[in-house]
Formats: sequence, C-alpha cells, structure tokens
Amino acid sequence: MATWDLSVTVEDLGPDAPPLKVSVTSDLHIGGVFLKVVEKTQLKKDWSDHALWWEQKQQWLLRTNWTLDKCGVHADARLIFTQQHKPVRLGLPNGATLKMRACFSSPVFRTVMGICRILNIRRPEELSLLRPVEEKKKKKDKDSLEEVYDITHLPLSTGSGQILCNGMPAHFAESPKTEDAYKMLSVSQPSPPPEAMAKIYRPASVVDKTHIHSRWLDSSRSLMQQGMKENDKLSMRFKYYTFHDVDPKYDAVRLTQLYEQARWAILLEDIDCTEEEMMLFGALQYHIGKLSLSQDAVSSSQGMDDLESALKSLEVKMVGESNSTDMLDNMTAPELTDYLKIFRPKKLTLKGYKQFWCKFQNTSICYYKSKEDRYGEPIQQLELKGCEVAPEVNVAGQKFCIKLLIPAPEGMNEIYLRCENETQYSQWMAACKLASKGLTLLDSSYQSEVKNIQSFLTMQRSNSAAASAQTDESINTHSLVSPRYHKKYKPKQLTPRILEAYQNVAQLSLTSAMLKFLQIWQALPDFGISYFMVRFKGSRKDEVLGIANNRLIRIDLGVGDVVKTWRYNNMRQWNVNWDIKQVAIEFDGNINIAFSCVNADCKVVHEYIGGYIFMSTRSREQSDTLNEELFHKLTGGHDAL
Amino acid sequence: MDDIDAMFSDMLQEMDLLTQSLGTEAESLPQHNPPSIPAPQEMNFSIGFADFNASLHDLEDNDLDALMADLVADISATEEKFATEREVPKGTAPVPPPPVQPLSNYSLLTFTDTPKPTTSSTSITAPPPPPSFKPSKEDLEEQMKADKIKLALEKLKEAKVKKLVVKVELIDGSSKTLMVDERQTVRDVMDNLFEKTHCDCNIDWCVCETNPDLQTERGFEDHENLVDPLSTWTRDSENKVLFKERKHKYEVFRNPQIFYLWKKDKKSIMDMKEKDKEQLLEENFCGPSVIVPDLEGVLFLKEDGKKSWKQRYFLLRASGLYYSPKGKTKASQDLVCLVQFDNVNVYLCKEYKNKYKAPTDHCFMLKHPQIQKESQYIKYFCCDDGWIMTLWVTGIRIAKYGKQLYDNYKDAAKKATASTTWATRIIQASPSSSSSSTPSPTPKVKATNGHASQPSDENKGHDKQASFPPPPPSTDFLPPPPPAPMVPAPPSPAPIATKSNKFPPPPQFPQSFLPPPPMDDLPLPPPPPEELELPPDFLPPPPPSFASHRAEALPPPPPDPVAFIPPPPPAPQNSVSVGGAPPPPPPPLPPAAVKPTGSVRKVAPPPPKRTTPQLAAPSGGDFMSELMTAMQKKRP
Repeated sequence: MATWDLSVTVEDLGPDAPPLKVSVTSDLHIGGVFLKVVEKTQLKKDWSDHALWWEQKQQWLLRTNWTLDKCGVHADARLIFTQQHKPVRLGLPNGATLKMRACFSSPVFRTVMGICRILNIRRPEELSLLRPVEEKKKKKDKDSLEEVYDITHLPLSTGSGQILCNGMPAHFAESPKTEDAYKMLSVSQPSPPPEAMAKIYRPASVVDKTHIHSRWLDSSRSLMQQGMKENDKLSMRFKYYTFHDVDPKYDAVRLTQLYEQARWAILLEDIDCTEEEMMLFGALQYHIGKLSLSQDAVSSSQGMDDLESALKSLEVKMVGESNSTDMLDNMTAPELTDYLKIFRPKKLTLKGYKQFWCKFQNTSICYYKSKEDRYGEPIQQLELKGCEVAPEVNVAGQKFCIKLLIPAPEGMNEIYLRCENETQYSQWMAACKLASKGLTLLDSSYQSEVKNIQSFLTMQRSNSAAASAQTDESINTHSLVSPRYHKKYKPKQLTPRILEAYQNVAQLSLTSAMLKFLQIWQALPDFGISYFMVRFKGSRKDEVLGIANNRLIRIDLGVGDVVKTWRYNNMRQWNVNWDIKQVAIEFDGNINIAFSCVNADCKVVHEYIGGYIFMSTRSREQSDTLNEELFHKLTGGHDAL
Repeated sequence: MDDIDAMFSDMLQEMDLLTQSLGTEAESLPQHNPPSIPAPQEMNFSIGFADFNASLHDLEDNDLDALMADLVADISATEEKFATEREVPKGTAPVPPPPVQPLSNYSLLTFTDTPKPTTSSTSITAPPPPPSFKPSKEDLEEQMKADKIKLALEKLKEAKVKKLVVKVELIDGSSKTLMVDERQTVRDVMDNLFEKTHCDCNIDWCVCETNPDLQTERGFEDHENLVDPLSTWTRDSENKVLFKERKHKYEVFRNPQIFYLWKKDKKSIMDMKEKDKEQLLEENFCGPSVIVPDLEGVLFLKEDGKKSWKQRYFLLRASGLYYSPKGKTKASQDLVCLVQFDNVNVYLCKEYKNKYKAPTDHCFMLKHPQIQKESQYIKYFCCDDGWIMTLWVTGIRIAKYGKQLYDNYKDAAKKATASTTWATRIIQASPSSSSSSTPSPTPKVKATNGHASQPSDENKGHDKQASFPPPPPSTDFLPPPPPAPMVPAPPSPAPIATKSNKFPPPPQFPQSFLPPPPMDDLPLPPPPPEELELPPDFLPPPPPSFASHRAEALPPPPPDPVAFIPPPPPAPQNSVSVGGAPPPPPPPLPPAAVKPTGSVRKVAPPPPKRTTPQLAAPSGGDFMSELMTAMQKKRP
C-alpha cells in the first residue's frame, strides 16, 4: 500500500515548531500514528494523555484501532497531537475561579463528571458548563486579577472516594494550596461589598434572563469541538433545578455551591422575591456568613480534625454558661428584673413611656410601680406565649425598644418596652422571643440568643458609626440584599428589618441554615424556570418560553403573564427539525406546539427538556451509577447518536 | 341523680382547679379541695357549656358515664405512675366522703408530682371495691360513686397535665363529653370520638371550633393539640366544638389538580388520571420544600376595623399573603405583604352578608387564634364563590402547615382503611363482647375505634396482631381468657401489698384487696409479646384491648381482673342501661388503657395521650365495673 506523508503538529514542541511529517499508509491505525509521532519527536515524557485532533473536521481521532482510512484521514489532513486534558479557568457558582484541568476530548457531559469527581460534587448531571460572558457585558474584566485557586496539578485519576483526610477528600489534603481551594469550595464566601455587587451584571427583564442560555455548551460534544482553548474561562453552574438527594454528610461542596448559586440568583435579582422574602434571605446570609467565619477561624487555628471537638467544647461552654449550674443550685426558674419603660399606645392619648419595675418570669412579664412593690400584686402581668415580638431599634439614636403584640380575646395589645442599653435590650429581647415560643429563660438557647442579638447590634453600630470605614468584621447590610433595596433603604433602615427576620433563624446550624435558604428559594413561585426567547409557529412576535422541571410555560412578553402551561407528563414526544431549527412537541389530546429559538440554539432547549425528563427518571432507580447513555438519548437529538 | 350532679360538679371543679393551677405551685391545690361542696358557678373549664349549671343539666347519664370512663381511665393512668410510691387513694375511695382524707392525698400528691415515675407498675386501681360490694342500696352505690369520683379527682391532680372536659357536638344535635389532656392531638381526640360514635372513620371527619360572636368555624388540623386552642377561649365563651365531616379537609390530596392546576379548564381537571394526581402530589409535597398553589385573583378585603370591603388583587406565596397595590405590576418586588401565616389561622365565616354587608357569603378570615371578638386585628376576606374560597383557604393551610398537612392526610387515610377492615373482622369476632355503653352499634364502633385510636403506623400493625389473636371467641370475652395468668401474677401481688400497707384508711374493703390477686391471675390473659408494641393509643375492640392491656400491663392491676370477673354480666348490662344514650363509652379497661400509656410514658414521662379515650372503651376497670353495676342496680 502506498505510503504518504501525514502532517502532524505536536504542541509540545513549541508554538513555532513546524508540523512533523510522518509517513503512513492508509491502513495504519491511529495507535500506530501515535507511536510514529512520539518516536519522531524524540521527547521523553508521558504521552498517555495525548491524542490526535483533526482541525479541519473539528474532531478527535480517539479510536486507536481504527485505520486512517476508516477515519477518513488523507494526506490533506492537518492533525494536531495534543493533550486531552487541558487547564481551564473555571468560574464557580460562588464567584471564585479555579484553575484545573478538564477533559477537552470527551462530551461535555463527561467532562463535567470528571470535574465534579475532582471537586467532590455528587450528581454531576445537574451541572453544566457555560461560555464566559462576552466582554462587553463586562462581567468582570478584572477576573484575571482575581485570586485563582490552582489545582491543575491534581492527578486526573483522582477518584471521588469518600476517603477523608483532615476533613476533606484525601487529594485535597496534600498541600496548603489545595486545602485552601477546598475551603473555598466547601465554605460559603463572605458577602461582597455592595459597591462591587452593584457593578455586576443583573438581568433587568425576562428577556435579559434568556441571554444566559445562549451560553450553555452542548453536552454531547467536546470542549475542543466547541471552540474552547486551553486556559479559557468557563463557568460551571447548576443547570437543572432539581437537586436529587442532597445529603449534607456527603455534599459539603455541592451544598455550598448550590447555596452560593441560589444566593447570587437572589442578590442579582435573577429570581424575583418579595421584600419580606428578601429580608429573610438577608438574615440567613448573615447567619451563614457568621457561622462560616467562625468555622473558618476554628479550623485554621486547630486544624480540621479538631473542628468537631472545638465545636463541642463551644457548645458545652455555651450551654454551661447559660444556666445549667444555676438550675441545679436552685430549682426555681431564673428571672430577669429591672426597671424598664413601658408604653401602651392608645387612641387619643399622647402618654409617653413610663418607668416600671419589671420582672420576667417563665413566659410572662409582671410589672410593678417600683422595686419596693415587687412583692405585691403586679400592676399587670403580660403573658407572652404566642405573642409577636418585633424590634424597634436604632443604635445611633440609642433607641432600644421591644414591640410586643400580645393577643387577647378582644384583639392584640400593643405594648412597647424601652430598654436603656444594648445589654439590657438583648437580654429582654431574647427572653421575649423565647417566651413567644413558649420557652423560658431556662432554655439552653437563651444565652446564644442574647449573643446573637448583641452581635447583630454591633453590626449595626459599625454601620451607622462609620459607614465609610468598613472593616472586615462589619458586614454591611446592603451586601445582604439585592441592589434594588440599596436604593430603597439605608443600611440603618434595613438592619432592624433583617434583625427581625434574623430572630427566626438565629438558632439554625450552618447546614440547616443553608438548607433553609435553599428551601425558601425553591418555594419561590419563579424558582427553577429557565427562560428562552422563542417564536411560536404561526406567531409573528417573540415570546418567552419557560422551562421548568415539570412543565413548559408560555409567557406573553407584552403583559408578562403566563399564557399557557404544558406539563411534561402530558407530553407524547418532542423532536427537533435541525434544518429549520424548530422544536416540535406533541401533548396528549392532540395538542401540538412548535417553535424556533430566537437567541439560544434550539439544541439547548432540546437538551433542557430532555435533561429534565432524564432527571425525573432518577428518583425511581436508586442506583448511583449515572445512565449516561440515556442522558444522551434524551438530550442529544438525532444527530448525537 | 342530684348526687351525681353534685359529684360531677365537684369533679369539674377539681379539674378546673387543676388546670388553673398548672402554672402555679401544686401546693395551692389542697386548700381548695374540699370536694364535698360543688361550686358550680366557678367552673369555667368545661368547654362547650354555656355555664356550669347548664353543663350539668346538659349532661345526660350517658355523658356522665362516658366521662367517668374517661376519667377513670385517666386516673388509673396517673395512678400507675405513682403506683410504686403511692398508697393511697384507694383506701380513701371506699370510704364515703371523708373530707379529711382528700387532704392527705393532696399532700401526697404534691410530693409525688415531681417524680412522675414512668414505671409501669400498674398498681392500677387496686382499690377496686370488688363486686362484692354490689350491695343494692342505692345510697351505698351513690356513695361509692362519689368516692370513686373523688378518688379519680385526686388522682387527676397528681398528673400535672392540663385536662379539659370537652363537650363535642355532633351533627344530629347530640353531644359527647370527653376529657382531653394537653398532650393529645386532634387526631387522638378524633380516634376517641370514632370510638364513641358510630360513624365511619373516613378522612373527612374533623373536629371544629365555632365562634358564635364572630360566626366562624375552623377545622382543627389533625396534628394540633386540642387543649391549646380551647384554652384561649374566654370563660364566658359560647364557642363550641363540633365533630363533623368536612369534605374539603383533605380534598387537596384527593384532587390536587383542582388546586394546583386551577387555571386549567374544568374539563381537563375533571379528567385527571390517578397517576397524574399522584405525580402532582409528589412534585408539590415531596420535594425539599412544599410548593404552595399559585393562587391569585381579586378578593374583597375588610381590615383595620373598617366597615368597607375593598377589592384587591391577591397572590398567595409560601411566605405569606400578598396583594398588588393599585397601579403596580404583579412583579414580586412590588407586592405588599398583607400577612404572614406564622401567627394567624384561617377561619370560615358564616353569613357575613348580613353581619358585615359582605358582597357574598363566601368569606373567610385570618386572625390570631386568641382573638375571640371583633377586632381591628382580624382580616376578613370575601370571595366570589365557595369554590374560590376553598382554593384560598386550602392554599393558606398548605402555606402554613406545609408537609405536616400531607402527613396528616396519609395518617388519616391509613387509619380509615384500617378501620373498615377491622370493623368487619371485629364484629365477627366479638359481637357481644362489647360491654360498651353504646347499644346496638357497639361492636362496629369499637372496631373502628381500635383502628382509629392507633395513632402511629406501627401501632396499627401491632394492634392488629395483638387484638386479633388474643380476643378469642366473642362470648368468652367477659371472663377474660384464663391463659396468661402468669404474666400478670407476679406484678400484681407486689402492688397490692404496697397498697394495702400504705392504706391507712382502707376500711371497708380490705377484703377486696385480698381477693384480687388470685382473681387477677385467672383473668390475666394472654399475649405478652404484643403488649410491648401496643401503643397507648390502642383503645379499641374490647377483646383485643383486654389482651393488649394485660400484656402491656403485665404489672397490672390485679384488681381489675377481679372486678371483671364478678361483674361479667354487669358489663353487658351496663351497656343496656346506658344504651339509651349513644355516647357512653364502654366502661372497660381503663386500666388497660392506662397501662399502655404507661409503657409509652417510659419514653415520655407524662401521662399518656390516649388514656382518656381508651379507658372508655374496653373492659370494665374496677371503677367502671363497679360504677356500672351500681348504676344497673339503680335502674333495675
């Protein structure tokens, strides 16, 4: 058989090196080509990760037992001998950038699996990769200046084994650098300063929200095929909003990143919520941020191994302090007593606060004219069980009031307690809060409740005292809510509102707080809807199609209303006409819809729908192995298989 | 009858004191005790009665019986707790009404209260003034009753648990009176009611409260505690507790599409396949967070104590009820939160067209449960039609209770199916056995009870096993199966001994004590294994209950058996006599019930939830049987 020269560029020889000419015959298989190329370079190194990339055809020659003939390679082919795994700068849901190696030769679906295996994220099918935002949207040009966590040297074969070392997967524990990277992955990041947040791109409308979908990479093709280059920036995000089997025990990284993605979705107004919901999200963020910090401090000083014990001793300390000893000493319930100012707003009166001797016992407050009268009948006893407690605080103005709404058969009694200072306030406030839930001062959460309130007040103080001098410890409440509320409220207005919401979550552990955040996020009406700009067949205007995990919704852009909803379980079939780029779906009852996509590739829509159907098959089969074939079958369209 | 009334009032009073004193020291109680004189006017805690006197008059014999059964059961339960340490009440019991004794008891009580030993040494009702007593004199009987009641009261006090006597009205206008303790959930109470009424136990049954002032009605959710909301009623309240079917209670789980796909056309909603319904439920209730139906639309709102109804466009979200202000869009950030659901409940309002000039009569309100009268803090809503109202009311319940609602439903559904199967079985098994007061239907009822009573799933399983196997033949029933005497035997003697020792005053009935032990052995039946598992809830079918009791009660009450044996006939008779009134719960196994609870308690020290209801059900406890016999004699 005739021999001919095959031109192969070997990247390892340097960018300017001329292509090697390898003489081959058409029946030489690809593996043989590898050999010849390697021989010719005369370089001693590990070539095992290399493969041939056929530039003109934009495809990899990965089947080493196929002959050149079978692959269709002829003398005019320009092949490149290159590594299959190349470093990329991976943008994570938490905004950090991680430099790591990813597979450029396998379908993106599998590439993501590989990345997730290294990062220790379970359920990789829920994530996918996005192209970076185009520069004009200036997502952040400074990204390059940002700290980049580099874990490119981690072996690719790293398994996802649950072997833990220093509280992290063994492969992360090998150097301080990788430990840092793992910490970044598994611990929530501090809130960004509001100024920075304001500069980040935010979608202003549903139409804006459709743009992101033009960026998803095709799961069935490789990175190389989709034009990605070594060291390119990619974003990894949870793509399918159906999170299977989240288990804090195994999902440290997954849970954290999920939380981060949710949090940014809220902060950047990617998903709308009401003011009340925003305050709760803010409170949870504050709480999570605080807990993450303290966890960080503990672990850095003592090492992750000691974390457990440290936490435990902390716990003991707090419980012990609270009053277990007192409890033993005297079996009587502890009480709070002090002079407080009480004010009961009434119609047509302008009476102000009047001072009384107050005694907090069990779940009620008794007040007396003075301390001397305390053994007599109280002027009144306020039973706080079931009441509403709201803070009325202005640190700058030294106003520390507790507003109580005490239910009575005739309605609610409104009563204000005014405290002298922060300490007094936090004690009484904590007591009121517990009492409203039917708990007494004896409850072990009392002391921590007091501390929580104090720390929150501290935060407010630093805000109002020196808004300009932001220290690291002081968190600006503005960084807990989306920019919309930066405009609407000043930090000092925001603080009491967040504080109010905070009281309901202050007792949560770090993990439960994150789960709670996710829960509320998932309960938002617009949760999990991905928007696509489409044009329905027979329609002349652009409309928006929302894809969720169980349904498709059609949204009229003019009104912004949902016009129609189709559920997947009524869906008979869907397919894509690749020639005219049209998706056609048939539902039960002879309902047919067809649409073309305006700004995203219709492959993305197709993949989304198929992906959700794939996700829904998971719950039934318990097996942990991912049915990759099924995924591609459902998402690939005809050209994929 | 007067006597009984007196007793009753006395008892109520005691309970009142008890409840009131919950917060305070136990010591205060003794002073008030002098049980001899009823002070009816003061009784506030009998729920469902306009005033105390009324309540007394209202009480029919049946009610009294039933209540007594409850009481006794409760008492025996509490007694169990203290049995180990206690001597007491029994001695007092027999003796007429010596006021002094009670005092002593009380003092005891105060001491005993704190420890609340969970031990299930069921010394229960050792006192059982045996059948021998039967003496025909009415006076005697009355006295006995009185004594027993007092005893019961004393024992009640021992448990610091808040208990309410609740009169529950049925649709037919009749009523049942039962005692509810603060740890009982509505589900428990319903199980109890199933037992006492002959209704099928379908999932639509519901305990509701009505407020005539506000013209409202609210169905309690199965997981709520009944005592809490009732405690917030004012003393002069005319509120009532109803037991009835409400078809919307769990409609959302039968036809989720109506709520979740409410925007769809009627036809596709009606044609929904079961499979799709299930999927809807799965999507909305089984995820990490419960999805609230995306309700939105115009409702009329009346708030801030104003008189006018204003139209607003409302949207329901998991975080609360919002409206979109005029001129704004429906975008989330523009919504105004009218109310969040943490502190309010949703109530249905009746005839508001008249009362408040509402546009329609389909109104509901959101208010804090403690608000009982018109107030600016109540928010009233008016819907175009009943259907829309159901959507909103249900949607709000889902937002407020979340997954709990679904769990309640699953629980109820399980029980409903279980009860049907049971009923048939039981009927066959032990037709006559039911000594329950309820007349003809009894068997059925009990059967249902058994099921219903079982609160937790596990229980069910157990119950079945337990009840079936043991309860052998129908007739045999009265004379409890002789078999497993051994089990009970050992424990029985011990308790007895202690009791006798302690009793200083056990004047008349010493004999009774003695006899019991042997008797006990005999009756003590069977199935030990089941006992363990049997949850306290287990009220039900008399025969089974017996078995279960014994088993559980192992330690138990020798006395009970004794009582039983002698009065075998009485039980049935009782039923007859009582028969007139449907409600009377079977006097039966109070102790048994107690015991189970006792076992439960081990887990949680406090008295068993179910005690009351169960007590009523099955076999005659000592008290009960005695009581019954007495009554029979009374009305020969």
